[in-house]
Amino acid sequence: MNRFHKGQKIQIFKSSSDESWEPFMDSFVGLSGVITDPDTSINDPDALVEVSIEGKGTYRLPQDCIRPLDE
Amino acid sequence: MTETRCPVNRILSEIRSAMESGALNHPRVHRIAEQLEELIDDIAWGRAGSDHLPAIDELLQEWLGLGEEASGAALARQLSAGISANREVFESHVKTHNCATGDCVKLAPAPCQMTCPAGIDVPTYLALIGQGKDAEAVAVIRRDNPLPWVCGLVCTRPCEFMCVRARIDTPIAIKSLKAFAAERAMSVGSYVNPPQEPPKGRKVCVIGAGPGGLSAAYYLALKGYTVRVIEALPMAGGMLMVGIPRYRLPREVIDREVALIESLGVEFRYNTRFGSDVTLDQLRKEGFEAFFFAIGAHNAYKLGIPGEDDFPQVIDAISLLKRVALGERHKPGESVIVIGGGNVAIDAARTCLRLGCQSVTIAYRRTRVEMPADVEEVEQAEEEGVHFAFLTIPKQITGKDGKITGLECVRAQLIQKPGSKRKSPVPILGGEFVMPADTIVAAIGQRVDYQALEQVDGLEWTRRDTIKVNTATMATSREGIFAAGDAVTGPATVIEAIGGGKRAALAIDRYLQGIPQPELPPVPVRRGRVEWTEVPASTKMVLKRPEMPLLTIDRRRTTFQQVELGFSENQVREEARRCLRCDICRRCGKCVEVCRDHMGIDALKLGYMDFEHPSETDFRRTEEKCIACGACAANCPNDAMQIIDRGDERILSLCGTILNRQKLVLCSNCGKVIGPQRYLDFIRKRVDDIGRLPEGQMLCEVCARNQSAKLHTDSMPV
Repeated sequence: MNRFHKGQKIQIFKSSSDESWEPFMDSFVGLSGVITDPDTSINDPDALVEVSIEGKGTYRLPQDCIRPLDE
Repeated sequence: MTETRCPVNRILSEIRSAMESGALNHPRVHRIAEQLEELIDDIAWGRAGSDHLPAIDELLQEWLGLGEEASGAALARQLSAGISANREVFESHVKTHNCATGDCVKLAPAPCQMTCPAGIDVPTYLALIGQGKDAEAVAVIRRDNPLPWVCGLVCTRPCEFMCVRARIDTPIAIKSLKAFAAERAMSVGSYVNPPQEPPKGRKVCVIGAGPGGLSAAYYLALKGYTVRVIEALPMAGGMLMVGIPRYRLPREVIDREVALIESLGVEFRYNTRFGSDVTLDQLRKEGFEAFFFAIGAHNAYKLGIPGEDDFPQVIDAISLLKRVALGERHKPGESVIVIGGGNVAIDAARTCLRLGCQSVTIAYRRTRVEMPADVEEVEQAEEEGVHFAFLTIPKQITGKDGKITGLECVRAQLIQKPGSKRKSPVPILGGEFVMPADTIVAAIGQRVDYQALEQVDGLEWTRRDTIKVNTATMATSREGIFAAGDAVTGPATVIEAIGGGKRAALAIDRYLQGIPQPELPPVPVRRGRVEWTEVPASTKMVLKRPEMPLLTIDRRRTTFQQVELGFSENQVREEARRCLRCDICRRCGKCVEVCRDHMGIDALKLGYMDFEHPSETDFRRTEEKCIACGACAANCPNDAMQIIDRGDERILSLCGTILNRQKLVLCSNCGKVIGPQRYLDFIRKRVDDIGRLPEGQMLCEVCARNQSAKLHTDSMPV
């Protein structure tokens, strides 16, 4: 799997233990979305990526809870 | 009788109607109504906490306590009774985040609006632009984003990635349409600020005049707060001004939009650095009650390779862009290598070309596909003559006599390492080579200058060296201090900073008013339901996204003139007509289902309605099979699908897209409309055995019944 790229369809498949994961984000698990901004400058697997989740809005999420839908 | 409409939604509508009618003109009542609206809106969207209902009760008591003289006393009693009678429903909304009737999601924003980090009501302003109402469109945008012109030129446009139209062909050019509307409205003088609330006499300090700070300042000023913005640079704009080159964003665009914010009474103090020129204690003594930090991420990461600190010709991209933005136009060298793959790397490379550098190469450790930079920016850079060296890992900067001679690199390949799901660049054995250069520009990312905030005791930081906040409110660990923008997200987008600034402004207002904060980030708010424009199905399919006209390549290589020249007015109005109006159609698919499974017709080819597996869409195909029965329209929960009789035609439309027109057949006896021929044929097939009319006769139900009864009487034996 390559790093995430803009426009990629993804799914939030689990919650994350990352400090940036907030309790309300548990309701995102199982939902689909699109990557709208991967890490902007550095290819860092630890960077937060911007994801637009269908019906929920746009959030920066850690990458360990996201998997691509189309690969 | 059981109430079929959600009481939360109904009561919210009652408050909003009363506010919009201007009936609540008593200042205290108006303030109470606004706060009630915010709190009930939280409940409707599942963002409320346990203190919301008690706070609503208190506000209603305060309102009722004002007596009959205050405006809306009857409404207060009505609201109080309504909430008491439906207490369980309100509590259920708070606890389960569920609306049994579905009303509270019926007006769910379109995907583009939901995607926008600032929550701009995209379909509404696109519809207004389509109608030529540019100033109204700008007013809609500014409900959620005070910098429409800036964003029209530099936004990363996440909205376009979620645009449903892209499931058919290409997304709507949302960004460029916004730029056109803002420029036109500014040009004709109709770009104005909305009315401000009366002064509250309370002071808020914004630290940083970048997009996040400007956004917070604007919304706080509109709410009547006294706002002072402290900025270390000599002008406003932050990264907009010193991080984005002028060929993408002319300075005048920033200046004009900042001037509008300034005209709201916002005070800007330039060349003032927080921490050294002014401190938190000093500001508190001056009477500031809340603080908003939007200091950005202006410090560059170092490359971490040998030679980096040995030569003055190694510069970071942010410093280079800043110097050029502030007026220094000397070329850094003749042969430049920019290391990085993001938008900053592209901006630095294109800036070097414009400064007169002979050769500019971007060295990136992965391939073109993995570049985080905007595809259009990469293409434009290539057109201008920027070279790309992919799968190139910098190893060492070499030189002599204090001057760089080259960059030692290693060729890489992308390999999936054991235990990792992603491919990483791995050096190829023996793949070393030297790229000749006299200047190296590092563009591998930025971080927050946290030293500026060291004096703020108790401010918590994340392990990513960003300010830790509650993302629902942007509140930091210190009471009364809020933060947003790159200082919170790390280097991110302009629109995220703007959205964060607005969210913080709303939270600061609640903090200073003493009303409870939401537990979830706010859901974007619909700003209207603008009438759709009728477009024939064939036009809807045939219209194509226009190509952006660009400055000539010679000027692009030599000057800082704006590269994107903007669409023509005709292109803009046509492009707006491509919008599918997802603010009205929720793409629930009931129309398709009813037509296919219940009526057995299958006339709707609307594959775009499926997010995960979109199939073919062709609005033109409906006309071939549709019998204009209206079953789809009757089952549409949002009145997006409509069937109407106009003149001698029956017209089926989806959000204004005319899917089918059928000539109407009239009753040959009384002249009443009985439907299109296809529909009558469909019905006749099903009732053929029940009663047959004389050949060539078309009768309405009443006339058919009368005739049938007459025949029956005539033929009955006496």
